[in-house]
Amino acid sequence: MSVRRTLAWAGIAAAALAAAGASSAEDLAAAKEKARACFACHGEGGISRAPETPSLAGQPDNFIQWQLVYFRSQTRKVEVMNAIASALSDADIRGLGAYLSSLPPPQPPGEPDDRPELTRAGAELARRNHCASCHTERFVGQGAIARLANQQERYLLKALRDFKSGVRRGGGVAAMPDAVYPLGDDDLRALAHYLARFR
Amino acid sequence: MSIRSKARSVAVAGISAAAAFGAAALIAAGAAQAAELHHYDSSKRSFWEHPPADWFLGDETEAQKGLNVPAAPATGIPAEQIEKTLKQIKLPKGFKISLWVAGVPSARQMAWGNKGTLFVGAFGVGNVYAITGPEGKKEVKVILKGLKMPTGIAFRDGALYVADIDRILKYDDAEDNLDHMPAPKVVYDDMPSFPAHGWKYLVFDKHGWLYVAFGPPCNECLPPTSVSQIRRVDPENGLAEIVALGVRNSVGGDVDPRTGDYWFTENARDWLGDDIPSDKLNHISRMGEHFGYPYCHQGNIPDPKYAMGHKCSEFTPPVLKLGAHVAPLGMKFYTGKQFPAAYKDNIFIAEHGSWNRHQYQGARIVRVIVDPRGRHAKQEVFASGWIKGKQDYLGRPADIVEAPDGSLLVADDWASAIYRISYGK
Ligand code: HEC
Ligand code: HEC
Repeated sequence: MSVRRTLAWAGIAAAALAAAGASSAEDLAAAKEKARACFACHGEGGISRAPETPSLAGQPDNFIQWQLVYFRSQTRKVEVMNAIASALSDADIRGLGAYLSSLPPPQPPGEPDDRPELTRAGAELARRNHCASCHTERFVGQGAIARLANQQERYLLKALRDFKSGVRRGGGVAAMPDAVYPLGDDDLRALAHYLARFR
Repeated sequence: MSIRSKARSVAVAGISAAAAFGAAALIAAGAAQAAELHHYDSSKRSFWEHPPADWFLGDETEAQKGLNVPAAPATGIPAEQIEKTLKQIKLPKGFKISLWVAGVPSARQMAWGNKGTLFVGAFGVGNVYAITGPEGKKEVKVILKGLKMPTGIAFRDGALYVADIDRILKYDDAEDNLDHMPAPKVVYDDMPSFPAHGWKYLVFDKHGWLYVAFGPPCNECLPPTSVSQIRRVDPENGLAEIVALGVRNSVGGDVDPRTGDYWFTENARDWLGDDIPSDKLNHISRMGEHFGYPYCHQGNIPDPKYAMGHKCSEFTPPVLKLGAHVAPLGMKFYTGKQFPAAYKDNIFIAEHGSWNRHQYQGARIVRVIVDPRGRHAKQEVFASGWIKGKQDYLGRPADIVEAPDGSLLVADDWASAIYRISYGK
């Protein structure tokens, strides 16, 4: 993964669509149709309005695909998503990854920060724990690593707690359980607050 | 030297003086560098017990910042696309590569049963597969699920052995129970629990010793004395002995059919640059010899921080420098009859390819011609063409086995497939 690739959102979206060589224009149209059912929970255009449901828009293609594979194999256990993913084929998953990753990502919340001290604490924790070394400097994610910037705050907190408690292990070398191992619940709250408001 | 001790907690005490020195050097060097660059105090026990999540980074330079492990496609690569890629793979004259089977997610080490089943281990997905059926109609079955990076597997006397990070499991009568695998026996568990460089391949010699590598939970550090080594384990009684010291991350080896000696590939430290240090092919000629890590790399580069007064001449040099960031994994001595006679006893090495080199290299199969004592070694590229542009892949070879007919099978954990390389018609 080159540094350059993490710079501009536009670059990523273009790359995602170009890389979608895996899925033809037809597959993409089919994925667009399929994704409408997802938006009932994940929000119109993949931008969530529900605190514990994540936005999907602008997540890296391969991250979306891996999560759907984990839901399908029940390696990641969340009942609604296990049921939905069990009906998806490999081709569906490739199409959904390409389509959802091409949507414009969520924006920082408009209202002023109600807890600036928490934001500062989160920024410091993210720095000390090298979160950006995987999630990238702008927290837009890359490859199978999630975008965190401007995700729903309560969802981020839930995800971090799930890694902490071992409910969720994640892929690759199980990096996330190790990342949250030294952190307390207050730290997780600060990180979620900071990342949800990231500018 | 036997290490039957159940010392799961790592032995840090013995190296504390040396470690303190290392830490001081680390701090001094760290201060001189940009503040955002990573810095670890790996001298503390807490580091071994819970390596930081980004343990594989550590001493990156500014130019290397942001290089990260590429994630394979989640659903593998569809068979039609793999067929297209294979048309572009370069091989010596007379050799041919074809798709043997697709849809083996994250395929890594392979091992034959004795009734024609090919067993395959896998990385993050936690599966072990059995591949059965006639040529052209191979069927892939998930026979084990939910294991911890079971990349390494081996087969002997009807039993399947699986490396589950901190345990080696034995499944008796595996081939007769593919649809309902028996409960495993733990045959060895004096192993660290962290996943950091904890995934490993398993190799039996003909006496029944199982060779197992123990990687350090870091890129470059002074490891506790219980890792950075290769042990051989007797699964009958759980006894083990150290056969090689000073080994970084070794994921692959084989026993020389000419001598019974163990040879292994080794991945060198990261972040010294795109072109150094070289990954290695090693040969153990004397029990317990030291291959240099963390003090010396590729036989002639003292580590900038961790050489700590050692000279490279104290350590066993590699048989061959394979190249920087080529990531050699599984290897096999060729014993078949299908390939031309010159290939007999040559070594084939599956190179997985770079993750943190600006222009990827590796992702190919290399042929090594070498005498039984490790002299007169020559290497040449045997199969290549899986790198796409600067930093992308069409496939990544992870292991090699010989098929009964003398062709080679190659596992690819990027395309989630197995290929066959044959000679002649
Ligand atoms: C009934 C509501 C619902 C529907 C419909 C739904 N999802 Fe979800 N989805 C969820 C919830 C809730 C989560 C959060 C799971 C958790 O708590 O970990 C989730 C998580 C996910 C994630 C993981 C995202 C992350 O950041 O980790 C992906 C990917 C996903 N859904 C994709 C889809 C797709 C694709 C569809 C349509 C085919 C879909 N979902 C339909 C409720 C839904
Ligand atoms: C070594 C790489 C690495 C480091 C360091 C790392 N992460 Fe992650 N992170 C990942 C990967 C990979 C995933 C996807 C996990 C999965 O497959 O479920 C992830 C997922 C997440 C998620 C879930 C996102 C979602 O939408 O489901 C959150 C939240 C998160 N990371 C926060 C953090 C924070 C905060 C830090 C620093 C304390 C951090 N990460 C450090 C690699 C890393």
